[in-house]
Amino acid sequence: MLAYIVRRLFMAVPTILLLIVASFFLMHFAPGGPFTSERPLPPAVLANIEARYGLDQPLWKQLWDYLYNIVVHFDFGPSFKFKDRDVNDIIAQGFPISLTYGSLSFLVATTVGVALGIAAAIKHNSWIDYFAVGLGIAAQALPNFIMGPILILTFTLWLGWLPGGGWNGGQWPYLIMPVIALATSYMGSIARITRSSMLEVLNSNFIRTARAKGLPTRTVIWRHALKPTLLPVVSYLGPVFVYVLTGSVFVDIYFSTGGLGQAYVGSALSRDYAVLLGVTILYGVLTVLVNLLTDLAYAWFDPKIRY
Amino acid sequence: MNKYIRTSLAGLLTSTMITGAAFAAGTHPETGEALADDQTFTYRILDEHSSVDPQVVEDVSGAEIVRDLFEGLMNQDEDGNLVPGVATSYTTNDTKDVYTFTLRDDAKWSNGDPVTAGDFVFAWKRAVDPALSSPYAWFMELMSIENASEIIAGDKPVDDLGVKAIDDHTLEVTLSAPLPYFAQMTTHSTTFPAPQKVIEEFGDAWTKPENIVSNGAYVLTEHLPQERSVRERNENYWDNDNTIIDKVVALVINDENVALTRYLAGELDRTEVPAGQFPRLQKEHPEEAISFPRLCNYYYTFNLSDGGPEAFKDPNVRQALSLAVDRKIITENIMAGGQPQAYTFAPAATAGFDVPDVEMASMSQAERDELAKELLAAAGYGPDNPLSFEMVYNTSEAHKKVAVALSQMWKQKLGVNAELANMEWKIFLEERGNQNFDLARGAWCGDYNEASTFLDLLQSDSGYNDGKYNNARVDELLSEAKTSDDAAPLYTEVERIIAQETPVIPIYHYAGVYMMDSDVGNWPVNNVEQNWYSKNLYKVAE
Repeated sequence: MLAYIVRRLFMAVPTILLLIVASFFLMHFAPGGPFTSERPLPPAVLANIEARYGLDQPLWKQLWDYLYNIVVHFDFGPSFKFKDRDVNDIIAQGFPISLTYGSLSFLVATTVGVALGIAAAIKHNSWIDYFAVGLGIAAQALPNFIMGPILILTFTLWLGWLPGGGWNGGQWPYLIMPVIALATSYMGSIARITRSSMLEVLNSNFIRTARAKGLPTRTVIWRHALKPTLLPVVSYLGPVFVYVLTGSVFVDIYFSTGGLGQAYVGSALSRDYAVLLGVTILYGVLTVLVNLLTDLAYAWFDPKIRY
Repeated sequence: MNKYIRTSLAGLLTSTMITGAAFAAGTHPETGEALADDQTFTYRILDEHSSVDPQVVEDVSGAEIVRDLFEGLMNQDEDGNLVPGVATSYTTNDTKDVYTFTLRDDAKWSNGDPVTAGDFVFAWKRAVDPALSSPYAWFMELMSIENASEIIAGDKPVDDLGVKAIDDHTLEVTLSAPLPYFAQMTTHSTTFPAPQKVIEEFGDAWTKPENIVSNGAYVLTEHLPQERSVRERNENYWDNDNTIIDKVVALVINDENVALTRYLAGELDRTEVPAGQFPRLQKEHPEEAISFPRLCNYYYTFNLSDGGPEAFKDPNVRQALSLAVDRKIITENIMAGGQPQAYTFAPAATAGFDVPDVEMASMSQAERDELAKELLAAAGYGPDNPLSFEMVYNTSEAHKKVAVALSQMWKQKLGVNAELANMEWKIFLEERGNQNFDLARGAWCGDYNEASTFLDLLQSDSGYNDGKYNNARVDELLSEAKTSDDAAPLYTEVERIIAQETPVIPIYHYAGVYMMDSDVGNWPVNNVEQNWYSKNLYKVAE
């Protein structure tokens, strides 16, 4: 198991390196640069700026310097757009925010989604089932960029219960709407997957055996059906965890949370190279780690899997 | 040296000194209105600002913050007139290439240090220093400060800049060319002083709230990037006794509709009105929905370069397309925020600019359409040989609506096939800048309140002339205007030529369209550049 983990982590290094190199060139080949503006800068001014940031060097040299600074100084470079801050600052400020509301959304989506799915499967074809399925579909049909404005209109303008945006150090009134907006559509998918998986498991032979030997329903569900039910759910949860962190740009835009999603999209639009690359690397590393954790979780859920 | 001290400046100065102190929970000293207990002004900004370093900042929302945190030699009043800032007066010589500013002796930094001429010298040298590589270094070139260009190009040392501190309260600036409006340019944030000691101590981190020292009416107390920045009263500011607003909060809200919702929920004192929503909001909140002219234009430019479409080389075609644009539909049905229709390139709100009587403006739309058809037919285009081209704009809902309306007008009235293409902002700039277009959207906001800030775009060698319009007479008039004492007739003639030759299709001029809480007093609606200072605002009791 340990050897497996070490091997996977070693394999991650070339993956991340490939990601950096590919992103670096894609980014530089996109038309327009960080200093392309409606008021083109005079050549002498532009030359000074490019010299300061090393953009006058050949691309391979820029890439080499970039990698060197990361490995040796753990410095991900300056921001061209936000001149008072560098990439390390931007990530240090934005990532904890994304992580906080992302993890909470993940928790909400998973617990509510799984609970709904199980309830629906156990009470198959009852009103509980129809309610859970209906709720799941409705939630899935409401992506966060629709949920955001609806929530703000309802809770801020009409009811006046919650602040319309901001972060304020993550106080709970500021967390509720972002978490709901981000969680709902994933919650719907999780409920759907859990329900169909549970239905399948409940119809399998080992459950019939368990029932036949007279085990109470509760024991059958918790002891025997739950683990195999969750296997397909877990493989879906891995990517979802990365999505709730990376796909949070709408939450950042609608709720002014100051998370990393907005910085990511903003840096792509303004060609803020170092910020774009820095966040890409962060997300890349996160994806690799989460995939590893998902694979390890399989082994716990399914005794047939061994590393 | 021929001294002519601006007596009006001195007069304004004394009038502001008479007023008393301690306003909270009191009444306004001039208007007598009851003031609110909570003097906090909260407004929305679209995007995180670039910096609060005066020599580095390059965006409008950043400059707004910097104008509160720092104070330059001169300020603007509610109408955009020049009033004293750190300088109480200035003199110039006959040839207007040496300016001497007298600095007030009670100006202080927020740490209590006096503001001296040396702080300006340091800041101005910093602005041109290749080591700082300020994106606004060109502004010092525009100000014609001696040796600025050479220093930026690396040909001369920074210390050769034509600015020196005669003593702590006298600043002398030498220009490489006469500039009658030099003093006006000192209201720009690039020229604001910088605290040398603090910058040397903290380096790039000097603008963080825990480090920053500033000389304006406010100090930066909190900055949560992408969320909010807060500035509070500077107790050491020389005119602190006359400042009413205690605290200013800028909230970053990317989505304008969310911003409007939060405004309506009472979280903001000011926000922009999304395109098309002004009439409804004005009906529902007549006290709060405001619209006033801005110094910006919205136009489409023809590609007149050698690689551009052959059809556009014919002025009749260009004029026909311009005539067929029903500007009333665009301003009243699409933008609907009180934007003036545009028949000239420079907005009528520009100072010292007489809008010429261009023929098109006085015609009815039916007459314009008739003439457009005739001109296009004369150019050889009609049902058998329809004119086709591509029009590009940068991706945005409002730009799309305007582009669709234009192409429909041309299709219905003239049978012209205009194909729409939108592009992401940076790609759009690159393509337009390289003349890879037929017809492209453009917009320009004046850098200063003078018609040349717009008309220079049509000078043949301007870096901003993306359509590559080239008219020797226009170039001649514009260069003559640079040194002329009365440039207004020259600008009028330029506009007449533009109206005839139609290198661009002016569509509308911008309006500032805001929801502004009726508690906010003294918003400078007459300052077309919208250079506002929180220290001049106040909030009345509800």
